[in-house]
Amino acid sequence: MKMMLQLVSPTAGKIMMFGKDHREQMKDTYQKIGSIIETPGFYTNLTGQENLEILARFRKNVSKASVKHALEVVGLDQEKKKPFSDYSLGMKQRLGIAAAIMHEPELLILDEPINGLDPIGISEIRQFLCELSRTKGTTIFISSHVLSEIEQIADMIGVINQGKLVEEVNMKELHKRKRKYVAFTVSDALSAAKILENQCNVRDYDIQDHMIKIFETEFNVGYFNQILVENQLVVTGINTCEDNLENYFSELIGGGGIA
Amino acid sequence: MLNLLYCELLKLRHSKMISISVLGAVAVPFMLLVEELQTHAEHPEEKILLDQVYANSVLYMLILANMMVSVAIASYLFSREYAENTWKTILPLPISRTKVLAGKFLTLFIWDLGLTLVSWFSILFFSGIFHAIFGMSEYSLFTAFRWIPKYFLLTIFMFATTTPFVYIAQKTKGFVAPMITSAVIVLGSAALCNQEWGALYPWTASVLLLQGRVEGTGYPVWLSITILIFVSGIGFMLTFLHFKKEDLK
Repeated sequence: MKMMLQLVSPTAGKIMMFGKDHREQMKDTYQKIGSIIETPGFYTNLTGQENLEILARFRKNVSKASVKHALEVVGLDQEKKKPFSDYSLGMKQRLGIAAAIMHEPELLILDEPINGLDPIGISEIRQFLCELSRTKGTTIFISSHVLSEIEQIADMIGVINQGKLVEEVNMKELHKRKRKYVAFTVSDALSAAKILENQCNVRDYDIQDHMIKIFETEFNVGYFNQILVENQLVVTGINTCEDNLENYFSELIGGGGIA
Repeated sequence: MLNLLYCELLKLRHSKMISISVLGAVAVPFMLLVEELQTHAEHPEEKILLDQVYANSVLYMLILANMMVSVAIASYLFSREYAENTWKTILPLPISRTKVLAGKFLTLFIWDLGLTLVSWFSILFFSGIFHAIFGMSEYSLFTAFRWIPKYFLLTIFMFATTTPFVYIAQKTKGFVAPMITSAVIVLGSAALCNQEWGALYPWTASVLLLQGRVEGTGYPVWLSITILIFVSGIGFMLTFLHFKKEDLK
């Protein structure tokens, strides 16, 4: 992302954006892009509005009304006198988002945009990004370690591990790939596993403390429960679940961290 | 470029650096007033000329006070983007790194020029106070205005000799290294300002050029000018090359 945004020079290769090398017609290309790289930086002696006005002047085609609208969208329009140095982390992040969207970009590049936001703020920004994509057709290129958030807004997901793109998949396909399972919470998960293996021919399962997860395409939850109870095991919970994104990608990269 | 200059000036709103730098620019005129008062107290018969006060100010401004202030401003202008983490907000905008730096250099020059004018006016003001109480020979606006072109040249020299400090500020991403380096340079200037070798040392060569004393050192004027241009050019070149290649992580 930093290479796309001219912060770091590529050591090799080309960066293509809008169908051409990003250094060709650089002005046109970057006029269409908005960005946040982690925690955004602004001039500490200035207010949010003053900061945005400077960026608007650099961009040349952004009106004062657009600056005000962007501040309204992120809920900072009332902070007229507060300098950036007095902003909370969440407010700084909101101002970063306002700076990224004030010129109505065609492409938004966001690196960890929900850093420091409270749960309500996260939900608001998520809704806003979805709406921006839906109503204005803005392409949003977002990176995050909070995969549950990504899961809620992305149409296409790519996983980079050790600097290499491991997988790129659209969400519909991903949902198909994520495995469904039934989780039984029982008094003795190890015994339960043996019983189900012997009596129901269950082979694909996983044990976690008092829980046994059964990954089978065809579930017969009632029958499994009956077998466990008949074998004197106490069943305290039965849930039908789906692998979350974290689990899916953790398995994809062999259990390591997701970069 | 005017738009860039305007943006740089907008960044300075509510900044304490402006008032601090103005105080720095008033320092030399105030010290000269103190000197005038002492001279008058010790030798009341001695005539104090406004022209002489302006002439004396050149040395102090170029090698001491205004020089240090100019280095501080340069360090602030160029290192604050690192300190406040703003490069990653500015550089993805549709503007080249060369233009961003050029805008900063232009701002530095305008700021230096503004401070030189503050010093010029302060000398006129303080000397006016002295003139009102004790009387000063040839105290007139005409005399003061005659110094405007020289002060403009002084600003150009000061700006030119500040560029190496800009590179240091850019390279070290902070205030400390350029300020320490400038203190060392000032010591060198103090040692060489009345020596022949002063014509070869860019920070004193500028004073000697303004005072028309280079020929007295035995070195040709063109050599002093060449050294000044060379040092300034190196400062510019290193700053631009470093910034163009720098990865901002």
